[in-house]
Amino acid sequence: MSSRLYNWLDARLDLKPVQRTLLDEPIPGGASWIYVFGSVTLFLFVLQAATGMFLALYYAPTPDHAYDSVRFIETDIFLGWMVRGLHHWGASAMVVAIGLHMLQTFLYGAYKAPREVMWMVGVCLFLIVMTFAFTGYLLPWDQTAYWATQIGINMVGTVPLIGDIASRVLRGGEILGALTLSRFFAIHVLFLPAILLTGIAVHLFVLRRVGPAGPWTDDRASLGAETFAPRQVYMDAVVIAGVFLVVAALAWSIPLPLTDKANPSDTSFVPVPEWYFLFYYELLKYVHGPLEPLATWVLPLCVILVMLFWPFIDRNPVRNPIRRPVALGSGLLFLLVVFGLLGISIRNLYAVPRADPAVARGRTVYAQLGCVGCHRIHGEGGAVAPDLSTVGDTRPDREWHLKHFRDPQSVSPGSFMPKFPLTDRQLNDLTSYMLSLKRAT
Amino acid sequence: MAGHPAQPDQQPGGGFSTPVGSRRTFFHWITLAAAGLVGVGLSIPLLSTLMSPAFQRRQRAWVDVGAVDDLPAGHPKQLDHVTTVRDGWLETTSHKAVWAVKQAQGDIRVFSPICTHLGCGYRWDDLQNKFLCPCHGSSYDVNGQVLGGPAPRPLDTLPSKVEGGRLLVMYKDFKSGLPTSVEL
Repeated sequence: MSSRLYNWLDARLDLKPVQRTLLDEPIPGGASWIYVFGSVTLFLFVLQAATGMFLALYYAPTPDHAYDSVRFIETDIFLGWMVRGLHHWGASAMVVAIGLHMLQTFLYGAYKAPREVMWMVGVCLFLIVMTFAFTGYLLPWDQTAYWATQIGINMVGTVPLIGDIASRVLRGGEILGALTLSRFFAIHVLFLPAILLTGIAVHLFVLRRVGPAGPWTDDRASLGAETFAPRQVYMDAVVIAGVFLVVAALAWSIPLPLTDKANPSDTSFVPVPEWYFLFYYELLKYVHGPLEPLATWVLPLCVILVMLFWPFIDRNPVRNPIRRPVALGSGLLFLLVVFGLLGISIRNLYAVPRADPAVARGRTVYAQLGCVGCHRIHGEGGAVAPDLSTVGDTRPDREWHLKHFRDPQSVSPGSFMPKFPLTDRQLNDLTSYMLSLKRAT
Repeated sequence: MAGHPAQPDQQPGGGFSTPVGSRRTFFHWITLAAAGLVGVGLSIPLLSTLMSPAFQRRQRAWVDVGAVDDLPAGHPKQLDHVTTVRDGWLETTSHKAVWAVKQAQGDIRVFSPICTHLGCGYRWDDLQNKFLCPCHGSSYDVNGQVLGGPAPRPLDTLPSKVEGGRLLVMYKDFKSGLPTSVEL
């Protein structure tokens, strides 16, 4: 049936040459599992586009409604949380796929003549994808989204001469608000896809003009070739299906709770960026004072320029990585720095359990029991009993608190604090809350 | 793929080493299977998301509209109340008015405030002793039966009950223009 339809269309549209262009492109040295990352990246873009379209059915890009509409997708729409999960993990997967794609291209020296343009367009595509990530992060309009974007835009503001105007253009004015959200939304769902699609078209056009690079051997005449279909198509398809299953499994099993709705007046909130920006977040911690602009824009700009013009910096015509020690060494150093910073950052983040649910429950118990009537925390509450603002520092001993709550007089003779009838769970939660009250670090 | 003559698995020589024959068919089917897996796996959540709201019934709640004793027997009274309306992710409070009539025996009927013809709001006319719709002249008697005009059916009745002397109503919308009462 399908072949009859195909023949019918072919008789009218002359499809055979198109098929030859698309599927019969020769791959020097034959198909390989190492060549799949470009196709995987392209698939993930399609996944992001499809899930994004369906999220847009419900999303409302205004500060009044953005948060509620995302929560509505999470809780009220059947499998809405799954689509949001696919979009979230798809974004991470895309960063990984691009990273591997670039690594393979770098290792194989596939950016060298005549493929410099393909590499440069690819670097632009990478930057566009990172812009997707940055603009998409704001859209849920929760505390994390708001404060992470605030920081991102403020970093743009540190660029001399153009920084101030650039950050105001990004925000759509002086403050991060309604205009920022609507323009981030428009950029994320209209501008960037148009730009990215154009870039992908150019990237693939150049690929078809110059052909795939193949292995790094110097003796290219000895290479046999194999058409793109069916074996490379099969390899691409198998890996794509595997990637889809991983992304779907992550979306299925890891919930993505929103933090509280964005609150511009709550300056105590400490946002953490997505993992692929963490290395940079960590770097910024080490650079202060007059050197700060170095990290906020000089270094990123240099890295981007070096990446973009790398085919002209590395003028060694040899593609075999063993005979390119300088290029390989600098690439390795770059990866070591990035992953080193990422590792340190992750270790720091997980060293302190950031949001122990017991702490939040303990805070509720504290409020329910009316402890605030006598105790004071950060200026709020009565003054007849000890101030608890930093009790986690002054009394870090968990056992002491447990004993104290059961019977205050047993560890603090003469205390007039009453014995509260607490369940074991409440006791533990309240203690966790007490221990969390520390001086800001 | 059909149409390929049976050949050895690989073409010989230093040129193209593209698989043919049964190996080619194998790759073809694995590719199709992978594409099918992704297609189905993606379609299920995406289409569910698209269609989900179409299958969700609005949750309705009983709303207190006033004291039963305030209703004069046999005389319709418009009762205003505030109700919370959920519209997707939007939650708004809106003022709704319903018409309640206490029969001589004490039964209470509550009418939707919308004319069954094209959805205008009607009012009670004391002089003519009937409900009048200003848009196209439909009129109903005190029991909601059509007296004249283009109205295709009697006024729509809302579920109501009395608890502790208070009248509770469940507000609903109905399709206009139909001969029978169909809830929205």
